[in-house]
Amino acid sequence: MTDLAKDAKPVAAATPPGATVRASTAAADVQTIPVWQNISNVLGRRLIELLVLLVFVSSTLFFLLRFTGDPAAVLAGETGDQEQLELIRKQYGLDKPLPVQYGIFLIKMVQLDFGKSFANAQDALGLVFERLPTSFTLVLIAFTANLCTSIPMGAWLGSRPDKTGRKLASTFVFVAQGIPGYITGLLLIQLFAVELRWLPSIGNQGPQSWIMPAITLASFQAPQVIRVISANVAEAMREDYIRTARANGAGFSTLLWRHALKNAMLGATALIGAQVSFLLGGSVITEVIFAWPGLGRLLVTSVQTLDFPVVQAAVFMIAVFVYLAIMITDFVFLLIDPRLRRQRA
Amino acid sequence: MSSVKESARAAASVAGKSGDTILSVNDIVVEFPRGGKSGFRAINGVSFDLRQGETLGLVGESGSGKSMTALSLLSIVPLPGRIIQGSISLRGERIDNLPVNELRKIRGKRIGMVFQDPMTGLNPVRSIGGQLTESVLRHQNVTKAEAEEIAFKALDDVGIPSARDRLKGYPHELSGGLRQRVMIALALINHPDVIIADEATTSLDATIQAQILDVFRVRLSKATLIMITHDLGVAAEICDRIAVMYAGRIVELGTISEVLTNPKHPYTVGLLSAVPRFDVRRPKLVPIPGTPPTAEDIVRGCPFAPRCRHAQSKCEERPPLEIVDGRQVACWFPRGSNAA
Ligand SMILES: Nc1ncnc2c1ncn2[C@@H]1O[C@H](COP(=O)(O)OP(=O)(O)O)[C@@H](O)[C@H]1O
Ligand code: SF4
Ligand SMILES: [Mg+2]
Repeated sequence: MTDLAKDAKPVAAATPPGATVRASTAAADVQTIPVWQNISNVLGRRLIELLVLLVFVSSTLFFLLRFTGDPAAVLAGETGDQEQLELIRKQYGLDKPLPVQYGIFLIKMVQLDFGKSFANAQDALGLVFERLPTSFTLVLIAFTANLCTSIPMGAWLGSRPDKTGRKLASTFVFVAQGIPGYITGLLLIQLFAVELRWLPSIGNQGPQSWIMPAITLASFQAPQVIRVISANVAEAMREDYIRTARANGAGFSTLLWRHALKNAMLGATALIGAQVSFLLGGSVITEVIFAWPGLGRLLVTSVQTLDFPVVQAAVFMIAVFVYLAIMITDFVFLLIDPRLRRQRA
Repeated sequence: MSSVKESARAAASVAGKSGDTILSVNDIVVEFPRGGKSGFRAINGVSFDLRQGETLGLVGESGSGKSMTALSLLSIVPLPGRIIQGSISLRGERIDNLPVNELRKIRGKRIGMVFQDPMTGLNPVRSIGGQLTESVLRHQNVTKAEAEEIAFKALDDVGIPSARDRLKGYPHELSGGLRQRVMIALALINHPDVIIADEATTSLDATIQAQILDVFRVRLSKATLIMITHDLGVAAEICDRIAVMYAGRIVELGTISEVLTNPKHPYTVGLLSAVPRFDVRRPKLVPIPGTPPTAEDIVRGCPFAPRCRHAQSKCEERPPLEIVDGRQVACWFPRGSNAA
């Protein structure tokens, strides 16, 4: 043995074989608590946040609306004289000082009473609820169509980004991302409703009429997701754990679907969450193009007519749903990534 | 002049250690294409035999092709690299030219591999148990419950405390040392014929290194092992034989005591003299002066010539790996007693 070899021995001698094989546990002895416990923790915190958010959004909106115009004038119409205006103001409580109006508004809001629509004297929140099924149908279909295309497509593009066919497809996706939704919508209407007459172009007339609005929405959301997923999959496929799995005999599909995709979805979850929030907020342009009787269009009309109660109720519900979407996104993160779950020592 | 293959076989018989040859690597070349020009050869004619129960050390500077040699044994050389020449046989059967479905039956089943970096080598979003049982279920005909039991035993065997609970756990909950134990458990879980450890302790701190080395010493004393290391101390402790790599080739291969006490290749001599003698801690390979050549430099001749004090005109011809004093050396003018 050389000096070198001898020199190396003392270290080994200090750790007798067998005795040290069992590792010291001090270095890391954390265990992740179950995912549902994490979720219930998050839930509590999130609900309080939601209440604060609702008060804040509604208050801001309350004052903004009061400064944008006089609903009494709208209600009275062109011919309304001063007397009529006074009467209307009194009737809707618009004659009281602003702070008093605000106080009343808050108290009623807590009871989920947003008042009656100025336009047709129906319960404002009721009008909003009427629109929800129509809106949600669209959201759900667009969301499903989005994920069903973007996950496989992103995985396919990202798994071997160097192949010619996929380079072409990536370019196509890149271009598609730049096409505004209303262009797609108008083209679809032109082709399928006007030329071919296969699909109804306006309103909610059952499943057939869901197709084009849903495609319109998915067509500008999916390319974004595809690009994020494919970039993330491509990156994940270069990771060391993929090499480990490969060295253990994993085939390409296992590497892609079981190992790379879950990691890739981490990066896409935030985007998908934001997209769902956007859909819930009423995809205004799409709803207008297809005359879709959803929340977005209700919001647009009620803003145009200064129908304060309906605007308030609609924004309130949208805030609730957007917040729910954010919360669900949080849970999805927790489900995908154990590193985000809280640990106990 | 005998071919590299012949001399490798001859050396195997000269060295005289009993034990069947399990793995036989013959003159393999791994090439990375570079648009148009001739490819870059990450390894360039590597040959060695591995015998039942022995531990072969693979040492050499960073970039000398140690990892690429290991990866080529499993045919998992990163794309666009390819094995373009040579053969690899496991228990007498060619395994380098198998279709991918057959290769997958060898990976993790007959050859197990431990990689360098335990922090990145495990999938962060999949449970430890899931990653272990995935390999068991792929290679062994067992139920899910049986696979979990096998995974538990594998973790327990490499000294992971409360192994049962760890199965449900995730890699980030473990320290580097424990993660490396998981990696070792994963490499061993299907009882492979050959285990390759690629710098398995390099990224760990000294105390943990010693613990992981103990796992190798105690748990794997009878295993057939290729131990890639930067660390001649580790090699001295664990290996029976050692192969010194330089610029994608093995330049010297012999028993650990022969090579360390009486190095023949000028590169090995340089490596050993570059090791500080009085450092009690394991000395790392300290590069000797000059830079290792890139493939561009090696048109022909001895790749070490630009850094070799003994280079002569003959060295413009490539020295074959030949037997000198019972070990293999690729040098026209080997050092030591009977050197030219
Ligand atoms: N993916 C790759 N593409 C091209 N060349 C590579 C790749 N990986 C490694 N190499 C080259 O192959 C050679 C051998 O690398 P490697 O086997 O990793 O060396 P070692 O493990 O001995 O440090 C080096 O010159 C390195 O630059
Ligand atoms: S062959 Fe020549 S150049 Fe190469 S190591 Fe031997 S003496 Fe040095
Ligand atoms: Mg390496």
